[in-house]
Amino acid sequence: MNLRWIGKPIPRQDAWTKVTGEARYMSDLSMPNMLWGRVLRSPHPHALIKSLDISEAVACPGVVTVLTHHDVPGLNAYGIVVQDQPVLCSDKVRFVGDAVAVLAAESKEAAAHALELIKVEYELLPGVFDPEVAMQQSSPAIHAKGNVLRHSKVHHGDVEAAFADSAVVVEREYRTSRPISAFLETEGGMAMFGADGVLTVYCGAQYPDRDVIQVARALGLERDKVRMVSSLVGGGFGGKDEITVQIYLALLALNTKRPVKLVLSREESMVTGWKKHPMIVRMKTGASIDGTLLAHEVSIISDTGAYASLGGTILHSAMEHCSGPYRVPNVKVEGHCVYTNNSISGAMRGFGVNQVTFAMETQMDILAEELGLDRLDIRLKNGLKDGDKGALGSLLVTAMGPVQTLQAAGQTELWSQRETYKAEPSRPWKKRGVGLAAAIKGCGLGFRMPDFGAASVELLPSGFFRVRVGCPEIGQGNTIAFAQMAAEVLGCSVDQVEVVTGDTGETPDSGTSTASRSIYVAGNAIIDAATKVVELVEQGISARLVVDVEEVELGEAEVRAGDAILSYLDVAALLLQNGQTCYASGRFDAPKATEEVPSVYGLPHLVFGTNAHVALVEVDTMTGQVEVLRISAVSDAGRVINLQGLEGQSEGGAVMGMGYALTEDIIIDQGMVRTLNFNNYIIPTAMDTPPISTTVVEVVEKTGPFGAKGVGEVVCISITPAITNAIYDAVKVRVTELPATIERVLAGLQDG
Amino acid sequence: MERERICFTLNNSPVEIHCHPGERLVDVLREQLDLTGTKEGCGQGECGACTVLLDGRAVNSCLVLIGQVAERSVLTIEGLAAGGKLDPLQTAFVTEGAVQCGYCTPGMIISAKALLMEKQNPTEAEIKEAIAGNLCRCTGYIKIIKAVQTAASARLEG
Repeated sequence: MNLRWIGKPIPRQDAWTKVTGEARYMSDLSMPNMLWGRVLRSPHPHALIKSLDISEAVACPGVVTVLTHHDVPGLNAYGIVVQDQPVLCSDKVRFVGDAVAVLAAESKEAAAHALELIKVEYELLPGVFDPEVAMQQSSPAIHAKGNVLRHSKVHHGDVEAAFADSAVVVEREYRTSRPISAFLETEGGMAMFGADGVLTVYCGAQYPDRDVIQVARALGLERDKVRMVSSLVGGGFGGKDEITVQIYLALLALNTKRPVKLVLSREESMVTGWKKHPMIVRMKTGASIDGTLLAHEVSIISDTGAYASLGGTILHSAMEHCSGPYRVPNVKVEGHCVYTNNSISGAMRGFGVNQVTFAMETQMDILAEELGLDRLDIRLKNGLKDGDKGALGSLLVTAMGPVQTLQAAGQTELWSQRETYKAEPSRPWKKRGVGLAAAIKGCGLGFRMPDFGAASVELLPSGFFRVRVGCPEIGQGNTIAFAQMAAEVLGCSVDQVEVVTGDTGETPDSGTSTASRSIYVAGNAIIDAATKVVELVEQGISARLVVDVEEVELGEAEVRAGDAILSYLDVAALLLQNGQTCYASGRFDAPKATEEVPSVYGLPHLVFGTNAHVALVEVDTMTGQVEVLRISAVSDAGRVINLQGLEGQSEGGAVMGMGYALTEDIIIDQGMVRTLNFNNYIIPTAMDTPPISTTVVEVVEKTGPFGAKGVGEVVCISITPAITNAIYDAVKVRVTELPATIERVLAGLQDG
Repeated sequence: MERERICFTLNNSPVEIHCHPGERLVDVLREQLDLTGTKEGCGQGECGACTVLLDGRAVNSCLVLIGQVAERSVLTIEGLAAGGKLDPLQTAFVTEGAVQCGYCTPGMIISAKALLMEKQNPTEAEIKEAIAGNLCRCTGYIKIIKAVQTAASARLEG
């Protein structure tokens, strides 16, 4: 394929207004006559609401409206899969931060003051904070239907017989932490009614079309009376996939008929935002003497907190990826997703795969050590290939990259020269180690959920092409990739293409900007639409200028038609003024597996991206402090659309996964969140960031646009076990609980 | 709240505003003066998204009260492109791919600007230290550090 734009490191178009401060995020917007909204939240993790008195708050000067559950006109609940989270709690609160009332006032100060005047009488209930306790029948029920949201089992092959045949069996328990997306822009935005009676909610989010459904359902409005504008987003990472403040904004605008703004404080965001599920993962893995994996038995208990959101789906994703990027013929996996009175867990970059990959990649290192095998060799021996079966027994029929990716990781200087890198620690009491790990992550929504891309491409009177896609730009850079893919098909330069995303009034529903899917599905839809527009332009010019269609050719800055050369402005004038449409919509329905995995809803995925990481760490044996000195990442994204964007994902993902390995954890003590801001929720800074190199392995996916897969999540997964495996390589401390804090590593050193 | 007249220099032009001197600089910039390039990420000086230059030094505008800037000079991201010409830092952030969601970008560029006003050719360690108070969740900082180096080189050559 001779490609003009695909793969090039073209700087993103949207960066220009971001560096000047002109770019307006939804939380930057304001209007004349605008009110300020606030949310009253429960201070208790589990309690009955006995009474609710808003009279003093209503009478407070500057207060325009105070709303409770009585004022939710439609369904007083939301949730992507299960609608079990009240918009405003009526009888019971289930976590610290549960919403009880919302109000709007003339100023931020008046809103804050009025919040203190709302009187809520609670009757405290015993809280349940340990998911294993919550699973017991005798535990207090958080929801009427019980505390187990999802219980699923899959068994294929004969695990017992395969364990009996194994030369070595490794059995360990792993516990993972509760990190949060910690996007720099907290949840917030503005809502207002237009003259046409349409309620527009401006709120940074990952799926505006679904937000319309959830807002309209809660407000009892027709969907066509609600418009959602979601781009730009100051970071998403999954944490803006579910409803955040959209319904509060809409309720307040509905009741006041004035523009209302509401932006969460960082503390409110830390308490109420969606966290990655903490999981208890028990793994028993058997292998033959040569390291061939034979049997794998896995139990996962996932703490989804007070409400469901995507908890069940995330559990299933964890189950599907429970053998990491490796082939195991006999697998038995059982998962429980459990309600607790902890804060809510939901989607966060990796969708359940980070947790099980950390466990599996630690198992692989232990197996290698017990069998006396090289850590890379055992991985290469078991790496998944096209035609293998995945962990749940489904056939993998698309381009699988584990072997190629691991081979490239083995060729990195950091791995091949690891003994040299380890030889000279910076201080005599420090020790260095190198770790290796790999991961796969399914792209898209799996077997059951509708998984489609939609886009339109249009030649504008200005001579520019406009591409419209529903999937919002959440920072990942899908807009520049969309522009490159459109330009590649159209033949014009990338500068000739404008991209609009994430506005239900403007853009076709193209699904979520999640699940490493937007380039895959929307890219294919753009190719479809752009191909049609090329035909429209060629045929139109051919008819107007009376030349053969074959003689019309769209070029970078101009269109050639026989002997004539026209600018795109001329082309637009010639065609549009004569009433010809130069607009086409495109659609792509993601292919599905031929059969569903029995007993787990919605699996398998069909397309997988792969990543491998090599990490060099230095451990201070006096303090337990771990410093990451160097990272080599190997990325299989299929065909790379934008190299600069891929590197950006790779570097950002590695640093996020490093935070997961070493520092990040929302600490909850009896339901109370203790990490309320960046003073004690520690994300990596520039000082913590080591040099990161990214090697690209293009295992081209034939169903992907130009061969691309998704990459947004898989880049942040294997780095975590690469770091913890490096810690073991340095000081023989096996990390089985995340994060590997100074205290835990030091305790390990002292035990050793 | 008692309002006062407060005069200061903002983006190289004199301004006069009427507000309570105890209001935070970040709020006055964003809500009264509609300069929303300065972002708020944490409200307690941990993330650096609200960084502005106060008399040439990088400060968190969420920790500065408007009364404290009287008769002083404030430069925000909107004032960085003098006469419409982008600062080399702004250009380098775009070309090096240092911008993803972009929410940290204004504060990051302002912190880097403060560094380059002090040191023409900073080392990588000096760059990392200068932006250590600016959190970024998207990029992993690698391309941000590269952009500051590129801008420093461009200034030296230019």
